[in-house]
Amino acid sequence: MIRCQALRWGAPGQPLTPPVNFELSTGSLTAVIGANGSGKSSLLKVIAGLQKPLTGKIFLDVSRKGSLSFLPQQQHLDRQFPISLQELVAAGFWGSKQSPDLRNQRLKTALEDWCLSGLAHRPLMALSGGELQRALLARMSLAQAPLLLLDEPHAALDELGQALLWKHIHAWHAKGRTLVVVCHDLAAVRQHIPHTLLIKSSGSVLGPSTELIRQQPLTQVA
Amino acid sequence: MLSAAQLWQPFHEFVFMRRALLGGLVLACSTAPLGVFLILRRMSLIGDAVAHGILPGAALGFWFAGLSLPALTFGGLGAGLSMAGLAAWITRRTGLREDASLAAIYPISLASGVLILGIAGKRLDLLHLLFGSALAVDGPTLTGMLWVSGFSMIAMALIYKPLLLDTLDPLFLQTVSRLGPVAHGVFLTLVVLNLVIGFQAIGALMVVGLMMLPAAASRFWSHRLPVLIAIASMLGCLSVWLGLLLSFFYSLPSGPAIVLVAGGFYLLSVVFGPVHGLLRRPILPTSQ
Repeated sequence: MIRCQALRWGAPGQPLTPPVNFELSTGSLTAVIGANGSGKSSLLKVIAGLQKPLTGKIFLDVSRKGSLSFLPQQQHLDRQFPISLQELVAAGFWGSKQSPDLRNQRLKTALEDWCLSGLAHRPLMALSGGELQRALLARMSLAQAPLLLLDEPHAALDELGQALLWKHIHAWHAKGRTLVVVCHDLAAVRQHIPHTLLIKSSGSVLGPSTELIRQQPLTQVA
Repeated sequence: MLSAAQLWQPFHEFVFMRRALLGGLVLACSTAPLGVFLILRRMSLIGDAVAHGILPGAALGFWFAGLSLPALTFGGLGAGLSMAGLAAWITRRTGLREDASLAAIYPISLASGVLILGIAGKRLDLLHLLFGSALAVDGPTLTGMLWVSGFSMIAMALIYKPLLLDTLDPLFLQTVSRLGPVAHGVFLTLVVLNLVIGFQAIGALMVVGLMMLPAAASRFWSHRLPVLIAIASMLGCLSVWLGLLLSFFYSLPSGPAIVLVAGGFYLLSVVFGPVHGLLRRPILPTSQ
């Protein structure tokens, strides 16, 4: 559950919206849409606790450390970092108390799930943007956090990758995890995500995706 | 040229050579992982900045207590840590980049160090402080080096995992753990500690060379972090050994001899290294 009360965020002195109130229930799957610069990514950072809100409060029903996974937009990972894809993915086990055998098994499964098995020992510099994005998603699936925040997860992915992504998002949703997904692809939001939070400079609206997106001319939100 | 017997003979014959060798070897092993991580964190120049920053503290220590190991060490440690801390504080408060604050603070430190030495009289040679003399490693200095190196290697092993993630993906680490800033702080402390203990043996500026050159060279040999650290330690140890031999047989100052051997390894790696080296085609396309 994520409850925001009179929340304002943005650069100091320049809040992006008037104070907003909304509540996303546990196990919900919500898209965040809005124009460029409307504050979608910052909102995710505020929820993740990586950025302080200007005013207002956020309540989470889980602790931020360990129970929350955040996939930022445009990874600034140093591609020359001397580490293999498999080691990057395995970082998802941070804090896990599972046995090494179980971990190996789960790591193998995660790599297979995200079509990365053949790339396991590649150094980061030899990965494409889409492969790296799938690796970060695989890391996220290992962490098993109940709250997942994804900022444009489909950005670097090709058609096959996007299909994989939606399949996993539905699977995570079915397991009762709470998901918040920033997404520019309104057709995909309508098709895959039941609820939508629209952020505008005049405030925010939360509602069923099919209604919200039909009401908005595409040019206004895309 | 040196013959095979000569590679070991000076160390067998002279206690001061054995001390210098042992001290240099442990220092090379403990600075190798620090150098590798400094490069990965894009903080390669902080070593230089801290080495200059140590000077006023060491000079003050000398002024009050004379040429005593604890005074120089604690003076240098205090100055180095407060310089790194001040730079970090200015960075956090103003939002400017850390390299800019370090670049601003280290000339201040260096100038005040030189000034203090000037006021204190010319009994302590500035050249000795900056470039050191490995052949003057005495018993207590060696003991200090062994302690610091041992401690720093154990501490690095303990913070290895959080430091790795804090370097690669700090946002991710921030969402799973609070250890990021702790690892960063411990790491910076270790850098200062190693520079301080090293500056008495091979000089403040030369120990930076021993820290950074093997680390920079190792990047041309592997894609794997543990291997990089192992290669950097090995190159550092070789540099110490060969550098001391050169300095013994050709009467060269030992600090520069060690650093120049390390520099030679670096240049060889640039040309022949299999990973990014000039002569080898990259195994895989590099992207930036």
